[in-house]
Amino acid sequence: MNTALASLSKFKQSKLARWGAVAIACLLAVYFLTPVLLNKAAEGLIREDRLVKSDVIVALAGDNRCNREKRAAELWRQGWADNVVVSGMSYAWGFHTGEAARLYVISLGVPEEKIYMICETLNTRAEARALDDLMRERGWNSAIIVTSAFHSRRATYTVERAAPGRSFYSSPVPTGSPEWTPRAWWSRRDDVYVTVREFASWANTLAGGWQ
Amino acid sequence: MISLGLLAAGCAALFFALPALLIAPASVEKSDVILYGALSKHSAADKYVIDLYRRGVARKIVCVGSQVSWELYPSDYARESLVSEGVHAEDVVSLRLPLAPCGGVELPRIVEFVKAHGWKSALYVTHPEDSRYTNNLARRIFEREGVALSVSYSPEDREELTRNWWRTHWKTQRMVGEAMIIALDRFYSECR
Repeated sequence: MNTALASLSKFKQSKLARWGAVAIACLLAVYFLTPVLLNKAAEGLIREDRLVKSDVIVALAGDNRCNREKRAAELWRQGWADNVVVSGMSYAWGFHTGEAARLYVISLGVPEEKIYMICETLNTRAEARALDDLMRERGWNSAIIVTSAFHSRRATYTVERAAPGRSFYSSPVPTGSPEWTPRAWWSRRDDVYVTVREFASWANTLAGGWQ
Repeated sequence: MISLGLLAAGCAALFFALPALLIAPASVEKSDVILYGALSKHSAADKYVIDLYRRGVARKIVCVGSQVSWELYPSDYARESLVSEGVHAEDVVSLRLPLAPCGGVELPRIVEFVKAHGWKSALYVTHPEDSRYTNNLARRIFEREGVALSVSYSPEDREELTRNWWRTHWKTQRMVGEAMIIALDRFYSECR
């Protein structure tokens, strides 16, 4: 008993042992806190607003699976707006991704005359400027922005900056496979690429970099 | 402070070295088939592929790609374009691939298609920034299955991509995106 107490007292007095204990505590904190912080960072990319009846629902370009367009058609059927905007870009072979999106939205029950298209949307800022032009032309003042969840905060931020004075509400595509999912995103290859790229895009947007 | 300065200088040097790091010298070997995978908005590789076909580098062409929108496959349109430029319709097909998280998942499907047709060698025409990685990853996957592979790209695509690339959004996005893909693939067994 005495030997054990003596060893403990010696351990407490040893500088090396104290530093060792601190290092172990730090490592444990990093081990347990990193996943929490990474999840929180990814969840921070999402913006979901309470829906308000608006002039138009906008499905932003860039979703190969067309889940954004599907969500926009769903919101239109629920009556959140009278019009739908799809967007995309043309390729050298003579097709337009926005046209394919338009046909898809028609197939989901939205009448052709209620659908508008934004062309040549190379990035979110260009898309936001084109949307502002279209909203001005049509006299629309409010829009529901539909995009992938990881893109929702930056997209809504970008359109709000491009079209001050108008109201925008974010209603992203629900998360969950095959869509991007913030929980443990680093464990899935497709989600990790999207997440890291989105953080880089945020940095570019805030710095006013490449357009 | 000095460390931060050195780190920033290193990052800047790495950034400007991306074209040299990512773009491998094009290698054109006579093959059974051309795999045309450079199908994107900013690619103009049709002319290059037609030229390879006319020079007899390969007698068959497979346009390879996944959907970019609802039921929209650029490979179908690239095929039509090649046929309209004089490639025999029976010599060119479109291979529609499902969306995949990375090349390591996609490439075995292409190898399977190549083997099913009895082809023993292929020339992969890709994007310039993807050439070194494809040369490494795809060659390994193809050669494991007994198919010889060379990797090339359109010289016009390379010229366009590398011209003032750090000042243009889509060019920077492609270069940095490729660097990210290469780095991230290392951590996922299905992509290596």
